[in-house]
Amino acid sequence: MRTLIVFRKTMREISRDKWMLGLTLAFAPFFVFLYWLWFQGGSTVYPIAVINLDTSVQLVDGSVYNAGEEVCAAIRAITYADGRPLLKVVPVSDQAAVEPILRDRKATAFIQIPADFSQTLQAIQAGDRSVTTSITFGGDLSNTYYMIGANMALTTVEAYVQQATGQKPLVNYIEKPLGASATRTEFETYVPGTLIFSIILLIFLAAMSVAREIETGALRRLQLTPMTSIDLLGGITLALLLVGAASSLLSFLMALALGFNSQGPVWVAILVSVVASLSVIGLGMVVASLTRSVSQAFVVANFPLALMMFFSGVIFPMPAVKLFTIAGRTISLYDILPPTHAVVALNKILTLGASLGDVAYELIALVVLSVLYFLAGAWLFQRMHLRSA
Amino acid sequence: MSTITVLQARGLTKRYGTLTAVKDLSLDVFDGEVLGLLGPNGAGKTTSINMLCGLLKPDSGRVSIHGKIISNADASLRLRVGVCPQDIVLWKTLTCLEQMQFIGEMYGMKGKSARQRGEQLFKELDLSEKKDKLARTLSGGMQRRLNLALALVHDPEILVLDEPEAGLDPQSRVLVREYIKSLAHRKTIILTTHNLDEADRMADRVAIIDHGLLLTVDTPEALKRTVGEGDVLEIEMDKDATEQARVVLASIVREVTATNHTLVIRARGVVELLPAILNVLHRLDANPGEVRLRANSLEDVFLSLTGRRLRE
Repeated sequence: MRTLIVFRKTMREISRDKWMLGLTLAFAPFFVFLYWLWFQGGSTVYPIAVINLDTSVQLVDGSVYNAGEEVCAAIRAITYADGRPLLKVVPVSDQAAVEPILRDRKATAFIQIPADFSQTLQAIQAGDRSVTTSITFGGDLSNTYYMIGANMALTTVEAYVQQATGQKPLVNYIEKPLGASATRTEFETYVPGTLIFSIILLIFLAAMSVAREIETGALRRLQLTPMTSIDLLGGITLALLLVGAASSLLSFLMALALGFNSQGPVWVAILVSVVASLSVIGLGMVVASLTRSVSQAFVVANFPLALMMFFSGVIFPMPAVKLFTIAGRTISLYDILPPTHAVVALNKILTLGASLGDVAYELIALVVLSVLYFLAGAWLFQRMHLRSA
Repeated sequence: MSTITVLQARGLTKRYGTLTAVKDLSLDVFDGEVLGLLGPNGAGKTTSINMLCGLLKPDSGRVSIHGKIISNADASLRLRVGVCPQDIVLWKTLTCLEQMQFIGEMYGMKGKSARQRGEQLFKELDLSEKKDKLARTLSGGMQRRLNLALALVHDPEILVLDEPEAGLDPQSRVLVREYIKSLAHRKTIILTTHNLDEADRMADRVAIIDHGLLLTVDTPEALKRTVGEGDVLEIEMDKDATEQARVVLASIVREVTATNHTLVIRARGVVELLPAILNVLHRLDANPGEVRLRANSLEDVFLSLTGRRLRE
């Protein structure tokens, strides 16, 4: 009952702090919008610096054959499934000129087409199997885009060479994309991460909301009432959960309005977001229990925030650190972080078209974590703040 | 005044590291009395009341209400206490009435009862016009009155007021003082103050605390009697002449003390003795300055107990 009283009071406070409420609700939809603008609703275009030294050859019918130019055209013709360009040619005169371009990341990789490129291909076409030529390529290997750009460009060159010389490949590689992953734009790929990012940030709101009660002395007043930590934290958690759910809903609506296409049921994705919010808020309650002021809560919350950001697979996949096995499932260290399960579940639903049953394990894990974190927070809060000091 | 003990403290001690904030405090608070805890800032008053109302666990000693020891496990005893903290503790984005309802409901009251009680308190504390205003929009004095109302919403038997007049504008001070007086004898009130006049005017008994020690507790009149009969004459003087004057005047009046620039003479009919005293000072070329005549006060009690003035 007191939980509901605290919930109503917290909702009143939240609804009257319009600036904070607006920022909290707008944060995730705003970032969805920013990603959409960034990728122009599509995906990254990888610029390839091309040093085309090819001198071309004149054919017997008098026409000029310039394989280098044709390779550039082939690179430009590579597109995503929706027809948007994937590679872009940045013409460069020589090796000296390409370095500053790569350093400034105006190109992700370079390829150098040799002077004898047309001549060599022409000879092979004519049946001379003794000739050969070399394509030089490279770039900044620490650039995460390098591997994709270089790989796509070389695959294109290889395909052109086979087509131009009439050679058949020794092995045919057939790609089988998982679910609808082949047709996903980069914008669509990033939407789940953005949603989880906004959920992770709820840890600040949760920890600081409780810490405010401590800092202002309001908790001392409440300490004289029969209130328990579960009453206080439960009421605040419910209110923040409502805000988190509204934020998730707005984010999905924004994404859908901008062309995001979910392969699975959106309501399941929202359910996952809400339960993930609950577990992050629970973690926020643990943080609040260990602090005495809003600024302390902000500083301390950064620690679990960094863990959730970098070790849960939101930004990049982490190798599993196995702990134990339950019912055939391996539990790893990072499974204690709520976003680990949320990332997997949202990707399954939004990209691979999974249904509620397919993400049951992740949902159960999130519920268990929510309960554990909340109870840990409530226990700590009772000990640290509600018992007589 | 009733002698039924409502709240009893025995051997309360609280240490913070090497600092002993309160040492071996034993005190009985009687039903319906106003007990003033008087002492300078840092004397241990707030620590004492926090232990008395169960907000702070003593390192040793116990507190009981009607003979039942306050513990974490039993919240029912704390329901009998209302605390008005020295700092303004409000929920700034709730209206006055909303926070009365909130805290009332947290005490277990029905929402309607809490609102009605709130409206009644607002009437008594002249806040009725502001009941639907957000707390953050109230003036400092109004916020302090609301702070007091929040301590009373559940109609506690014991009311603890930590420096109730601190930070109040003159108009609010009069209003709060009158209100506390109106509560006296209906409720048991413990108030802390470093204001001697406030303690003298409002308290039935005064407990003087300094450096964490309870020095004495009695009615203001009884305490004043302990430092001597009659009125007090204070004469401002040059510092160098003060001690010599004290020695010479000791032959005329029984009780004379010197503190810095002030000669303090206490005697029955001190006004009649004034010409003789001034004559002595002139003979000594002591060059007396301002002369003040006043009744015995708690300041004198504090001075006699600690050897220094409360305001020093």
